[in-house]
Amino acid sequence: MKTCIACGMPMKEKSEFAMGDESKDYCVHCANEDGSMHSFEQKKESMIGFIVKTQGLAREAAESAALSMMKKLPAWERNFAN
Amino acid sequence: MAEKRKLQKAETRKRIIAAAIKVYSEQGFSVPTVTIAEEAKVSHGSIFVHFPTVESLLICLLDSFSQSINNELQSLSESSGDIEKLLNMHINVLIQHEGFYKRLIKEAVYLPEEAKNTFIAIQSIVSIHFLQALEYEISAGKIKAVPFHMLFNTWLGLVHYYLLNGELFAPQDSVLTRYKSALIECFTALIKQ
Repeated sequence: MKTCIACGMPMKEKSEFAMGDESKDYCVHCANEDGSMHSFEQKKESMIGFIVKTQGLAREAAESAALSMMKKLPAWERNFAN
Repeated sequence: MAEKRKLQKAETRKRIIAAAIKVYSEQGFSVPTVTIAEEAKVSHGSIFVHFPTVESLLICLLDSFSQSINNELQSLSESSGDIEKLLNMHINVLIQHEGFYKRLIKEAVYLPEEAKNTFIAIQSIVSIHFLQALEYEISAGKIKAVPFHMLFNTWLGLVHYYLLNGELFAPQDSVLTRYKSALIECFTALIKQ
């Protein structure tokens, strides 16, 4: 089973892949309308927004958690490289 | 020979992880690594061969717990968005890791930053499934009009309160097993219109 390289979501169904394309390594939630993958900033903002919406955390705490999550994902490795 | 050594290494790592879960659950996260080594029946030094820092050991345990929750709850989103079913599955996963999770919520504020963030990531996974299960009912007006995070935090608050006071609610027993139905019935009755 593939896991989205940009958010970590497991992808089993065709509909869970970007543009329904099972050869893609990222999911439907991490794709722009044209099928390209979200940028680092886009993903970071969407993760922060999601954490604030679902867990009600302060933005600073949500940002720290979002960056920590992204650090472990293959899509963003080079953004954290020293 | 190299293959045998690789297998032995994997086996030692497995033993360290199992011992760490047991020791942390019973004695807390500040327990010295030598206690984990004794429990795993490995030399103290071999812990650091596998985990260079105590924090990396803790993060490994949290990541594995996170994976387990993700796998378990993922099967729900494939079937239906049924909130009772989700709450049931959430509690079932927590029951499998009850001692470790109880320790985690008890000592979360004292954990290193990365471990705290991993804990938030774990709750984030749960919240995704929670949101998916509730989305339809919220849009159909079947759920009381309160912010989503309040619904989610109310559920966690309820579960955590019973866990943290397990000795009062279910001495010598799994409080989540004993109160699973009551917690789910109470929560759904509270949030439905």
